[in-house]
Amino acid sequence: MELVTIAKRNSRIRKFGTKLGRSKYLIFMIIPAIVFYIVFNYIPMYGITMAFKEFNPRLGILGSPWNGIENFIAVFEEPKFWVAFKNTLIIGSVKIVISFLGAVLVALLLNELRMRRTKKTIQTIVTFPHFLSWVVVAGFVISIFAYHGAINSIIEIFGGTRINFMKDTSFYFGAYFLSDIWKEAGWGSIIYLATMAGIPQDQYEAADIDGANRLQKIWHITLPGIKPTAILLLIMSVGGVLSAGFDQILNLTPEMYMDQVGIIDTYIFFHSIRGTDGAGVGTAIGLFKSVISFILVITVDRIAKLCGERGII
Amino acid sequence: MKKDLIDRLPLRNKRSSRENRIQGLDIVICVILVIYAFLIIFPFWNAFVISISSENAYLTSNLLLWPTELDLSAYKEVFSNDQLWGGFGITMILLIGGTTYQLFFTVITGYALSRSNWTGKNLVMNMILVTMFFGGGLLPYYHLIKTLGMMDTIWVMIIPGAIDTFNMLLMRNYFASLPKEMEESAKIDGANDIIIFVKIFLPLSLPMLATIGLFFAVGNWNSWYNAYVFITNRHDLWPLQMVLRTMISKISSNIEKPDAVDAFSQGLTMASIFFTIVPMMCFYPFLQRYFVKGIVVGAIKG
Repeated sequence: MELVTIAKRNSRIRKFGTKLGRSKYLIFMIIPAIVFYIVFNYIPMYGITMAFKEFNPRLGILGSPWNGIENFIAVFEEPKFWVAFKNTLIIGSVKIVISFLGAVLVALLLNELRMRRTKKTIQTIVTFPHFLSWVVVAGFVISIFAYHGAINSIIEIFGGTRINFMKDTSFYFGAYFLSDIWKEAGWGSIIYLATMAGIPQDQYEAADIDGANRLQKIWHITLPGIKPTAILLLIMSVGGVLSAGFDQILNLTPEMYMDQVGIIDTYIFFHSIRGTDGAGVGTAIGLFKSVISFILVITVDRIAKLCGERGII
Repeated sequence: MKKDLIDRLPLRNKRSSRENRIQGLDIVICVILVIYAFLIIFPFWNAFVISISSENAYLTSNLLLWPTELDLSAYKEVFSNDQLWGGFGITMILLIGGTTYQLFFTVITGYALSRSNWTGKNLVMNMILVTMFFGGGLLPYYHLIKTLGMMDTIWVMIIPGAIDTFNMLLMRNYFASLPKEMEESAKIDGANDIIIFVKIFLPLSLPMLATIGLFFAVGNWNSWYNAYVFITNRHDLWPLQMVLRTMISKISSNIEKPDAVDAFSQGLTMASIFFTIVPMMCFYPFLQRYFVKGIVVGAIKG
């Protein structure tokens, strides 16, 4: 009896061994990926424990003493953090709405444009800014809104006086939204254009026979046609609402205004990494941000499913 | 060429002539789009005019739509600026070395994950997918880089970026869509997985490789964030964009005295901006379709 079991087990091990042997080259190819994901993704996940520790660089993550939720209390009692939190919510949600509307509008206009050459040229022009870095775009914003820049010159031509935009903190919110649309609307439209191209042509033909005009066709065929894509992209963008464009804001905002017009990520960066808040507090904020993002995605996904749409989870 | 011809053929010749005529609405749409395109181009033009104007012209004229006093000293300065050329060198290392490195690891991972049924494949796949939704956050990552001793080295801008999950999945889906019979017949002929990958699947996926490679190349050309966060002491390791960033933030932090433009930094900065974007402007119109293909394929399959 015993012998039979052992023999069975051995043969199973041997089978497993030959299976492994047969795919040894594929496993050889995947090993670097496993190493990279463990080192650069899973070890930082373990690093989240710093949120519950009083981190001391000399002792390392393991050696540092636990301090419960003290880091979180320290953050939540800091009014500057709540300013950053409020800014993040405003900037993130306005950006989702305007970038969605901008992309759909550009896609609709391009889709309706029947001059093929012009369409191609315009598409090339409007998608290009996506490939600029925020460093360059920030350079453009600063040059256009500078004291001697184009906008001030136009103001002067119309009899106004030059304004020092950069000194006004509310200018930065406008700059975030405008530059985001300028840079991404054209690129964002591509996906909607592709979806529009996939809408069956017979629907439009049927509408033609029924005597529908172009606006009616857009409203009753094109827009419902892109709805599933739009909802999918919206759900995905909700996950990034609390990220709100870290690299954009790092480039557009002078450091001295970070506390007034910055976001959660810039708060972590300038208070924990460059500042004196300590790694524990910074990690705690990061964790807080991830948890809220996760809840937001789940909630929006549920709502979409309740409304009869396909979710992502 | 042939494809263009097919594109131009009328798909529905049954359409009434009323439909094919250019209507009022078409003109409105065209005008709106042309204005939009103009607004996209304007910052480039404005920056270009500032970069070739003299300081005097910039400060006195109302709206610089056309260069009034030509002055190329900004470009002379840019081309003799050691810091910019140093940054250019680092960026070229990232562009060539980094792109090759990322392409290699992303593609072999995508291939391995596209083949059916090897032991542990699902586990690895799930392990990778989880990282798309959860992450440690900025601080644990910063701590990791510090522990690995990569602070203030060029490696921090290259090594961690080995595999881009989104592009890897794109590649995986592409490999999976190729017919499996090729692999089976090659196996019968005695080829192993590496030979099959190199001799059969790689040559078939060159367009996809070009798409992904271009995205990596643009990312490396625009790279500044890693340098900004992790390279704080070795300024000689800064890539081009980071050097440019320091020049721009010098202007933007000069808020209190907007009138005092020291050494005409505006013109110099705009010239440097052109130094960094002209290569992309030259290539983009020809490569646009690869980029578009990447996002469209990714959206439909991913």
